[in-house]
Amino acid sequence: METKFNSDERKRIREGIKDKYKAVAITPEGKFSYPTGRAGLEGQKYDPKILRALPEDVLASYCGVGNPFSLGPLNKGEAVLDIGCGAGVDTLVAAIMVGTEGRVTGIDLIPEMLKRARTNLKKTSLKNVTLREGSAEKLPFPDETFDVVISNGVFNLIPDKAKALREVFRVLKPSGRFLLADQILLGEMPVDTESMIKNWSG
Amino acid sequence: MLNEAGFAGIEWVAETGFNSSPVTKGVLFRARKAPIFDMRRFEMQPKDVLSKYQEFFNGAYAEGMIDRKTKYLIALGASLAAGCDP
Repeated sequence: METKFNSDERKRIREGIKDKYKAVAITPEGKFSYPTGRAGLEGQKYDPKILRALPEDVLASYCGVGNPFSLGPLNKGEAVLDIGCGAGVDTLVAAIMVGTEGRVTGIDLIPEMLKRARTNLKKTSLKNVTLREGSAEKLPFPDETFDVVISNGVFNLIPDKAKALREVFRVLKPSGRFLLADQILLGEMPVDTESMIKNWSG
Repeated sequence: MLNEAGFAGIEWVAETGFNSSPVTKGVLFRARKAPIFDMRRFEMQPKDVLSKYQEFFNGAYAEGMIDRKTKYLIALGASLAAGCDP
């Protein structure tokens, strides 16, 4: 069931999310009800060989809800988009997987998270990563740009999920894959706007 | 929603065990975009493009030096040889 928000509600959702993730950009520790950082990565069974290739303080910034890479391999040379890249841990993992012939683009709405991602990227020697600000509801890429789109714990935060999913479809090449880790709501959405917005950004 | 966006092969693969609240659950989904020949993309073309294609199709299969039945049989043989799937 799609929930439609007016522009004021969308603005409040966006601000609620921005406020939370400004703090997460500094550290995710204690801000989620599941493990973050190295404990989160190990809990979701990320490849230990790849984790060893990344600095410890980069791993510490992980706050994903699952492991999109467990859904299927990324191949050398592929073009990958990470929607809602946050501090960029999945972006960097993808960059290692696709190798120097591949390229990975991370996109996020929160400037503070992108700043953390850029700091994390500088701590590696990876040259095949681009990070930019943008919205999943209006992806700033031509049609059929990517072989794979990944996203981790982001779509539950997007007000117009249907629009974002159409955008994912648009930017994927024919035969492209969408690998998604996210939260789904069990039961009914709350009916009052305040609770809905709190639910969205909490 | 993934289906409405045009995705195929949609699979709910597993739960992640990382739940952000008592009323949510972490899950893994996988979906793919169909390869190049997708009828939905074809059907979304503007009407004048479709009518031009129909004109070409009708012309190609019109009775002529080779009758229509033979043309269809040639097309069927070619598609089988090329491994065309619907």
